[in-house]
Amino acid sequence: MCPPRSLFVNYPMGNPFGPPNMADVQRDLLRTALQTVEQITVPGQIVDYDGEWPRDFADKVTASLLNM
Amino acid sequence: MDPVRYVDLLNQRYKAQGFPPYQWTENEPGALTPLTKPLGECRVSMLTSGGVSHCSMPVWDAEARNDFRLDEVDPSAAAPDFTVNDSYYDTSDAASDVNTVFPIDRLRELDAEGFIGSIAPRLWSGFMGRIYKRSHVTNVAAPALAEELHDDDVDLFLLVPA
Repeated sequence: MCPPRSLFVNYPMGNPFGPPNMADVQRDLLRTALQTVEQITVPGQIVDYDGEWPRDFADKVTASLLNM
Repeated sequence: MDPVRYVDLLNQRYKAQGFPPYQWTENEPGALTPLTKPLGECRVSMLTSGGVSHCSMPVWDAEARNDFRLDEVDPSAAAPDFTVNDSYYDTSDAASDVNTVFPIDRLRELDAEGFIGSIAPRLWSGFMGRIYKRSHVTNVAAPALAEELHDDDVDLFLLVPA
């Protein structure tokens, strides 16, 4: 799908709102996602979230791909 | 870590398994409707496609294909009362804190602090698993959901993929 506004979050599948039980991170992500409504003016535009997953998550990628 | 090129990786995986090239859907962007009011006055709803079910509902089929079930979720529901069933991603974090794929607590907090105007009377869980019936999504399921959102006077709809 191609929604009119998107926030790209470079976190593993299963963690679009970050790690579990980290309310501050989740809240910042939600605020940022909602603010794209006021930032994006071109349909389909994607804004990158300025956050880093704390470690390499290649293992999670492999696990997800094996089920696809 | 650099972003993962999931489509490229899947193409490689399918090719290695002897399948013909997968016919990916390339959608045109949805219409961009400008806000007519500040974010702090908007009514917000949200949908997760992560196989999230409230304890009052059956769990999702973790291996679902073309499952167009759509659950209405009470926005006052307690986060620990949800279960996550989806075999297409690692659900361990979502199982310990549903807010990772359905930030219902965070949405209530942003409502309480006035960052948004209000939460819609219904949140949503659906479109999970594998869905191959693209025309049904475009012509039937998505327009039907849009009607429900219209009925709830929703200004902003947040789609949360797993």
